[in-house]
Formats: sequence, structure tokens, C-alpha cells
Amino acid sequence: MAIPYSLALVLLVPLVSAPVVYYLGKQMGKKVGWVATLPLIVTLLLIFSLAADLNGGGSYSESYSWAPDAGLTFGLLADGLSFWMLITINVLCLGICVYSTTYMEHRFEEEEHHTGVPTPNSAYASYYALYLLYAVGMLGTVLTTNLIQFYLFYELMLVPSWALINNYGYGDRERIGMMYFMWTHVGAVILLAGILSSYWITGSFEIAALSGVVGSPIAGWIAFAILIGFFTKMAVFGIHIWLPYAHGEAPTPISALLSPAMIGIGAYAATRLVIIPMFPVYQTFSLVFSLWALLTMTYGGLMALAQDDIKRFLAYSSVSQMGYIFLGLASAAEYGVSGAIFHYITHGFGKCILFGVAGILMAQVGTRSIKEMGGLADRMPWTTVLCLLGFFSIAGVPPTMGFMSKFFIFSGAFSSALSGSPTQLILALVAIIMTVLTVGYSLWTVRRIFFGPLPEKLKEVKEAPWTMTVPLLVFALFSVIIGIYPKLVTDYLLPFISEALHATTAALSH
Amino acid sequence: MIDPVAAMTPLEVIMKYPGPWLAWILPMIGALSMPLFERFGNKIRDYAAVAWGFTSVLSAASMVPWLFSGNYPGDIKLTTWITFPGGSPLEVGVLVDPLSIIICNVVAFISFLILVYSTEYMHGDKHLTRFWFFFLFFVGSMLLLVLSDNLVQTMVGWEGVGICSYGLIGYYYRDAKERWLGGPPPHKMFPPSHAGMKAFVVTGIGDVFILGSIFVIFNFAGTLNYVELIETAHHWLPQIAAVPGLLAITAIFFLGGPIGKSAQFPLHEWLPEAMAGPTSVSALIHAATMVKAGVYLVARMSPIFYLGTWEMFLPEAQVFFIVIACVGAFTCFMAASQALVSVELKKILAYSTVSQIGYMMLALGVSGMSEGAYVAGLTASVFHLTSHALFKAALFLGAGSVIHAIHTIYTFNMGGMKKYMPITFILMVIATASLAGIPPLSGFWSKDAVFIACLVANTPLSLTLLAVGAVSAAMTFFYSIRYIKLTFLGHESKHIEEMEKHGHHPHEAPKIMWVPIAILVGLVCVVGLFGLVGFFVPSLSPELFIEHLLHDMLHHMGIPLHTHHLEFPTILTAWGTSAAMLLIGGILGWLFYLSRKVDSWAFVSGNPVLKPIHTFLFNRWYMNSAYYKVFVYGLIDFSKVVFATLESMVFDKITAFVSGSTIAFGKVLHVFETKVYDPAINVGLVNVFVEGSRLLYNDLEFLIDVSLNRGVPATMTGLHNRVKKLQSGVLSYNIIYMVIIFVVLILGFGLTQMYGGI
Repeated sequence: MAIPYSLALVLLVPLVSAPVVYYLGKQMGKKVGWVATLPLIVTLLLIFSLAADLNGGGSYSESYSWAPDAGLTFGLLADGLSFWMLITINVLCLGICVYSTTYMEHRFEEEEHHTGVPTPNSAYASYYALYLLYAVGMLGTVLTTNLIQFYLFYELMLVPSWALINNYGYGDRERIGMMYFMWTHVGAVILLAGILSSYWITGSFEIAALSGVVGSPIAGWIAFAILIGFFTKMAVFGIHIWLPYAHGEAPTPISALLSPAMIGIGAYAATRLVIIPMFPVYQTFSLVFSLWALLTMTYGGLMALAQDDIKRFLAYSSVSQMGYIFLGLASAAEYGVSGAIFHYITHGFGKCILFGVAGILMAQVGTRSIKEMGGLADRMPWTTVLCLLGFFSIAGVPPTMGFMSKFFIFSGAFSSALSGSPTQLILALVAIIMTVLTVGYSLWTVRRIFFGPLPEKLKEVKEAPWTMTVPLLVFALFSVIIGIYPKLVTDYLLPFISEALHATTAALSH
Repeated sequence: MIDPVAAMTPLEVIMKYPGPWLAWILPMIGALSMPLFERFGNKIRDYAAVAWGFTSVLSAASMVPWLFSGNYPGDIKLTTWITFPGGSPLEVGVLVDPLSIIICNVVAFISFLILVYSTEYMHGDKHLTRFWFFFLFFVGSMLLLVLSDNLVQTMVGWEGVGICSYGLIGYYYRDAKERWLGGPPPHKMFPPSHAGMKAFVVTGIGDVFILGSIFVIFNFAGTLNYVELIETAHHWLPQIAAVPGLLAITAIFFLGGPIGKSAQFPLHEWLPEAMAGPTSVSALIHAATMVKAGVYLVARMSPIFYLGTWEMFLPEAQVFFIVIACVGAFTCFMAASQALVSVELKKILAYSTVSQIGYMMLALGVSGMSEGAYVAGLTASVFHLTSHALFKAALFLGAGSVIHAIHTIYTFNMGGMKKYMPITFILMVIATASLAGIPPLSGFWSKDAVFIACLVANTPLSLTLLAVGAVSAAMTFFYSIRYIKLTFLGHESKHIEEMEKHGHHPHEAPKIMWVPIAILVGLVCVVGLFGLVGFFVPSLSPELFIEHLLHDMLHHMGIPLHTHHLEFPTILTAWGTSAAMLLIGGILGWLFYLSRKVDSWAFVSGNPVLKPIHTFLFNRWYMNSAYYKVFVYGLIDFSKVVFATLESMVFDKITAFVSGSTIAFGKVLHVFETKVYDPAINVGLVNVFVEGSRLLYNDLEFLIDVSLNRGVPATMTGLHNRVKKLQSGVLSYNIIYMVIIFVVLILGFGLTQMYGGI
């Protein structure tokens, strides 16, 4: 039983709150972070209210007249594919908002210490206003039903995140912000080219109409253009170089959202825009993409091994995890695609915990260099547990949900490999062997940070305040609960994907 | 068999068959409750841990009557776990049959004894809550692994025990120097946190292989339930076999998991390091239970490959048996050879564990080599698993007592302990005798069963492997004598004398520590005696009892069995082999260690052949260092090289070029804008426009000026100044513009009428 206009409200509430938060922030300063959580709580409740409607492959949509002359409607759709994406994004945004209240205070103090200028209230005000807009961008991208609207939200996701990196980041933040903007924007432009070419063929901007492209001589090119747009976002091998910089130097709460929540939307969008409507076209890419995915996961993992900066380490690990998601997509099989989306959720919670831990370490220990840490388990037991749970999630160790999501990814990879060529089977086997790399770099890092003797200068390190650990614990709880009871996710995801892929195949064969 | 559960709610299922569910659920709840009990004080927490352990003993024991009645429930499904569109759902369930009942009782019972032992052994440790958490969680996961009715659930338990093993090996994660393992210097030493990680990663390598195999099986069979897999084997197995090579790969990959978990070659290198954990942990996880998980899983899946080999005549199915037999026999030999020279007491026992598991794997392997050997092989492995669990747990606990008493891990720092710890000495000697296979202790009968299985299989390969196993048996007796001598007999070492000088007199372990050992040793003797009696009264033979149970179980599964009556000459040959090997090992051991007729070290170091062999064995056949060189340092170095070259030199340069050129282009644009565009367009054109319009619309402008130009700009300027006051810089403009654009956008669609929707 959905509340009327609930999807519109999901976007409107945080959107309208953004200026409110800005003006309140001018008065309240750092406390405004708590105000910013309110709209996110409302949206989360709205999304949860849809749970019953969407279970088992159902869907719920709203559409509003937008530009009738151009045949455009403003449509919003929640279904089995997007439901858990929405929850993940929303829960992460909410939790990280709470986390930010402490972290950003630390960040600004650090900056004050650096520049000697006291932080104006407006700095907090614009941080949380941008934060909410960023959330709207992500939620909107997932909800949208037509391509123009999609493109708008896709860019709305980019602009505030760029501004956040640019203003609150570390190091050479302006240059890195620009680099991030350029790369993603170039991807978006290629995507736009794909979108416009599809309009040329189908005469509609509706995502549902994209299947009309199939059969056209340039269908492959259109699919490829759209996909490249998303792959830039996902930072697959070859176009990944912006990611370690952006995620390394963004303010840590933003890294925690950028890294799992945002880049993974690329995978969602690829599923929504290409894999489902253009399935027959997409299938032809399967082999090449599998290879590319394998390369991404291996390369990301290897690069992670070579890092000393904890945030860059996590960023490379994200590249590697995107490789897993990519592998699931590349399988072009129902379990694989479902697994990719499932792994988005896993990676969302897992990597968010890990970036949160990185932020805690930066705030409490005061360094980003793994070499300088060690033996911290004694000083920060909760952080240690969180870090282990985060790594277990992304490494796919039960009872975290990583096990389940990787199970589906590889199940898909194997099912498509076994009906395909021996080359694909070898790829799948190599890919699964490569997962050891994740376990390896994870535990090695845990050991270097938390175990072993405690260096003299870290004797005084304190556990993080609850505002930082509790949100992360909630994420960990999500991960474990879904890991034990995966039906919560799969009952939405599997029937939807399976039906959608079969429907496309059936419709096109007629 | 009792009818499968149909149309019952999960709660009713658990009420009807509480044993197999509570056995693993209760310890897990117990694990989670440990922080809670800590609040009531450490003593209560420790008692609570023991009590939780006891609940799983009770639950497991409640299943024992089914063994005797033969009317066990089989597969009990609780609820749907994951629904697959267009496939059979994955269900949560337990499989209660003799195989799982036996192993789960062994696990629960030994865990409980070790729990009791640990209360004293770990006494005074400040972080026991963590210890009990992992300990109980381990018990729960292990029982889950054994009782689950499908591969996924088994994998969950499998990884669960892996995590606990990781947490307990690395229990002393502060890596204090005295907890390090290896050496003695100049040999490399490893800290506990490293050892825990190593264990998890190395077994993880095995796990990904087995997962790969599971995916292949799932893809063809559409189910992962053991019972269904066996029932439908005639359907899916030939399909896999239809792809040349695939069935063999599936089999080998499947074995990867058990090989990793049970520390078999080539994934055996983690177990010696796993000794970095507290000794009670080594006894439980790395001797009695977890390392047997591999054996269990191979036994569990063997009916499928047996059917493939002997019913469907798929030659590739037999790869499963051949590989595991060869791996088992080779590991058995290799690990025994390393135990000959090791200087750390616990490591000797660890090598010995690896070696003994090799026997179990060998038995499982030969079971598929000929049609008639199946039941014999399966029985031998389960029997040896049980008997080894008893005596090896006892040995480790005994070793723990010794280490606890004199604080050293090296045998050369021990010696003469018999005087100080007489009870431990006697218990250790009996357990060791069982390990060495001295009749009539349980180890003799179970090892004998392995030999018999090899003889029954009676193929050239199985007989060759039997020879390898036999040589290992001789080595087993030899190293058994060696460590008993080094630890308990002879003179006290300097270390002990040193201790005495400082007033630390080693003393017997407290009762709460030796009683659990005594119970285990007692069971070793009882099983052994039953073995002896059973030779005359077959109905009392433990081996025949297990054989009968497994035969029944396989029969229920619909596996056609061909069992031969065991010929007396076969038994005699096996006995003869055992006896001969005991003789060889015993004489050498007697010469080198007991009688001291030959000084072992002088003999070895003076011999140009034996010295290099000793070095080779001591360095663990150089496998450990080779692995490190290639897979650890090699990989890290490789990643650094790639980072320095491809990543930093190519990709980084590209992006630097892109962003650099963008900025440069921006600067060019800026120059263009300020020098050309701005003067020309913004100043020139505007001037032209303004001047022209002034001339043309002089009057009109006046009107506009009054109404719009003064009104709107005044508002805008006001707003603009207000915004400007808010914050200087680019950011506030961005926010305000974006907010305005989006509010307008949203209001736009909000105001126009809505259609459709909801």
C-alpha cells in the first residue's frame, strides 16, 4: 500500500530541504547535520512503504506531465531492480550523514589548524545542502523512466559531488575535482550520444522504448556508447584512473558514498538501459566484457596490494569490486545480472563501512599511511570488528551478504560459460580463483593496521565516538542479516530480472 | 527412514526434530551471548561457555538412538532460503544420517572436553570473551557444516569455521615475541597474526576451487541438496561428462576445498603455522574437528562419483577418487617425513595430523578404485577420523599441559618431564601408542582398516599407495618415539634447570586439565578393546558397526553396492604390513632415541646423504619458502612494479595530460575571453546594441525602465547581494543556481496537471 505521490516525495523532500538546510546551517553551524538527516529518514520510510507492492516482481510507478509538446513525461518507477538500490543509497546517505556530523567537524578543525581561518557556519551549511542534492541525484537516477530525465539526474549526481570534492577534499583537490568532473562528464557525453542516437531510431525518450533499437544496424554502437558512459562511472580497467584520485582525496564521508553507492549506479544503469531492453544485442558483448571484467578485478586487486595510503587502497579495491559487478553483468545471464545488482548492495554497505573506518582512523590516529599504523585492535576494538566485517562483506565470507552476492555473480558467470565456449569457462575459472586476491589484500591490511605490537606513539589513540561507529554498525548489521536471510533481496531481484530478460527475448523473437 | 517433513511450519519441524537443529543453533547463540555473560563476571562467563558447549553435546547425543534403531530422519527441510525462478529452491535443512550423526557427536563431545580443559588452560587471560565467542561459534559452524543438507549451507559453516580458525590462531594478535612460531633463529619466525591470516588465505584458495566446482554442479543439476544430487545423478552427471574434460575438472576443483581445509598437499602449509593459537585451539580445530571437514565433505560427495564411475561408467568420474588417493598418500608420506625432524612439539603433532588425514583421504580415494572397496574405504576413513580425533585431541591437550608447565615450544628445551608430570606422561604415551598404531589401541584398528581398504581395492595403484602409507606408518612410529623421548624421557634440558634455579618447579597439570585428557585416552582404549573383542564377536566391532551403518545409509540412498566378504588372508596381510612397519620404525626409534646406541644428531650430521635430507625435511621440502617467494613476495613485488609502470607511467600520464590540457585550454579560453571575446562581444556588441536601442526605443525604454528595469533588477540585486553576503566564492552560486533550477523544474511539473500515476 503505497502512499500517494510517494516517489515524487522521495525526490521532493530532500530537494526542498536542501535550501532549508542551507539557511538553517547559516544559523546553526555544525548541528545542521542532524537536520539534514530528517528528510533522509522520511524518504527511507517512503521507500520502505513500497516493499509489499514490489515483492515478487511487482512494480510501482508515477508519471507527471513534463513537456507534453516534446512527448516527455516525468516518470518515476520503483521495481524489483531498483527497490534495494534505493534502500541501499538511502540507508548509506542517512548513516553517512550522521557520520559526517562528527567527521566534518574534525575535517574543519584540521583545516582551521592549517589555514588559521575559523570555519564559517556557511561551510557546514553548504556541505549538507550539497549532500542532500547529491542524494537526490542518486535517488533520481535510479527512479527515472526516461532518458532525458535520466541524463539530468545523472549530471545532478556529478555536480554536487564535484563541488564537495572541490571544496572539502584533501590534497590537490581542485585539480582532482576537475579530473573527476572531466572523466565522468566525458562518459556522460558519450552516453548522451548513445541516447540521442536511440531517439533517432525509436522516436521516444522512454527507457521502455529502448528495445526498439534492437534490429537496427547501429544497435551495437548505441548499446556500446551507452555502456561506455556507464563504464567510465564504474571505472573499469583502462578508464579507472580518475577513481583512486577522486575517492582518495574526497572528504571521507563523500568517498564513502562515491565509492560504493555512486559508481555502482553505473552497473544499475547498464542493466536498466542496455541489458534489459537490448538483451540480444548485449549478449554479443559477453565474452569481451568477461575478459575486461576479469582484467578489472585482477588489476584493481593488484594495485590495492601496492598501496600504502588507506583511502587509495580502498579506492583500488573498489575498482576491483566493480570488476566483480562487471563480471556479473558480462555473464548476460539472469543470475549473473542479479548477482551484479546484489553485489552493488554488498559493496555499498561493505565499502561504506571500510571508508568509514578509514575516516575514523584519519580522525583518531591522524594518518592515512598504513605503514604508520599497527596494533590498533587494542585501542579501537569496535573499529576493528567493523573493519573485519567490512572486509568479510566484500571478500564474500559468510555470514555477510558478500557470500550470497558473489555466489550469484559466479553462478551466472558459470552458467553462461558452460553454455558458451571453453574460453569462457576458463575465464570463469580464472575469475573465481582471482577472488583469493580480495581475501589476501583484505586480511593483510587488517593485520597491518590492527594487529601486531602497538607502536609507542599510538598508545593514546581513542575509540571513535558513537556517531561514527553506530552508523557503520548498522551497515554491518544489514550485511549480516541479508547474508543470513538473502530472500529479503533475492525475492525482489531474481523474479524481476528473470522475467525482464525472458520478456525481452520473447518479445523480440516474435 | 522416517517420512520427510511435509507441510509443517519451521517451528513444528524444530519441535519434532530438535537435536539436529539445536546442536548448531545453541552454540551460536551462546557465542553471541558471551559479551552479555561477561557483565556477570568472568567466572560465570566461563561456566556459561561450558554450559553452552554441553547443550550441543546433549543435542548431538539425542541423535544417537537413531543410529541403533536405523530409523533416522534423513533430510529435514525447514524453510525456503532462496527461491530461484525456474529452478528448485534452495532450502535450509539438515541431513541426519549415520555419517553426519557420527561426526557430529565426535565434534560436539570433543569440543566439550576441550572447553572444560580451556577453562583452566586459558585461566587468567584478559580477553577470554573473545576466545569463548570464537570457540562456541566454531562449534556451531562445524556442526552446521556437518549437518547441513546442501552444499551452500555447508559452505556457510565451512567459512564460519574458517573465520573462527582465523580468529583463534591469531588470538594473540599483539604478536608478543614469546608467541612467535618457527625458528629457532636463524630460521624464520612468524607472529600469530601472520599465521591466522595465512591459514585463512591458504584455505581460501581451496574454497574458491570448490566454489567453482559447485557452480558447475549447480548449473547442470539445478539443485545443491545432497539427497537430490544423488537421486538425480544419473541425469546430470552424464551431461557434465558430455563435455570432454569437464567432469574431471569439476572433480579436481571440488577436491580443492577439502584439500585446503584438511591441509593436504599442495595446500598443507598453513597447518604448521596454525599452531600459533592457544594449544586447546590447536587440539580442537587443527587436530580433532575442523581439519576433518574436508574428509567429511569428500565422503559426503563420494556416492555421486561412485555412481558416476561404477554405474554410469564415466571414466572421468573416477578422477575424483584417484586424485584424492594420490594426494592423501603423498601428503601422508611427506608430512610424516617432516615430523621426523621438527623441533617444535606442537608442530610435530601438526605434521602428524596432516599425515594422518592423508590416511583418511587415501581410504576415501581407494574406495572408488574398485567396485567392492567402496564401503570398506568409506568405513576406514570415518573410523580413522573418529579414532584420530580422540587420540590427537588427547595428544595436543597433553602437549598443551607440558607447554603450559614449562613455557617453551621447543622439544630441545624439554626432556625428563616424566618426573614432573607422571599422569600427563602416561596419558600421552597411550595416545601416542594409538597414533603409532600399536595394537590393540583404536589407532591400530583404524589404520588397519585403511590398509584393508587398499587391499580390497586391489588395483596396482591402490597397492602402490598402500606401500607409501605403510612406509609412513613406520615413520609415524619413529617420530612418536622421538617426541616422547625428547619431551618426557632423558635428562632435563638447560631450560628446565634454569627454571628450577629460579624457583619455578614444573608440576603436574591441574585435575581439570588432565581429566578431559584421561577421558579421551579412556575412549581410545575402549574403542581399541572393542576392536579386539569385535574380532571374535563381530557384533561388537566398532569398525563393523560403522560399516553396517554406512552400508545401510548408502542402501537407502539407492547406491547399488557390491561388498565382498573380507577374506582372512587380506586381514592377515594388513596386520603383517602394520607389524612389519612397527618393527622397522620401532627398531630405528629404539636405536636412535630409547637405547641411545646411536647418537641421532652425530649420525645424521656426519653422513653426507642424511645431512642434506635432514636440511630438506627441516625446511619443509622447501615448499613453504617457495610459496612465499612466488605467491606472497612475488605477487606484492609484481603489483608494485605494475603500479610504478603501467599505472603511474601510462594511465596517470594520460589523465594528467587530459586534465592538464583541459586546464591549459581553459587558460587559453580565458585569455581569449578577456582579450578578445569580452571587449568584442561584451563591450563592443553590447554598446552597439545599447546605443542602437537607445536611439530606437528611447521612449519605450523609459516606460520599461520605470516598470521592469528598476523593479526587477532592484529585486535581483537585493537577492544577489544577499547571496553574496552568505558566502564568498563560487560555491554558493552553484548551490543557489542549482536549487533554483531544480525548484523551478519540480514546480513546473507539479503545477501542470498530473495524469496517470499512482
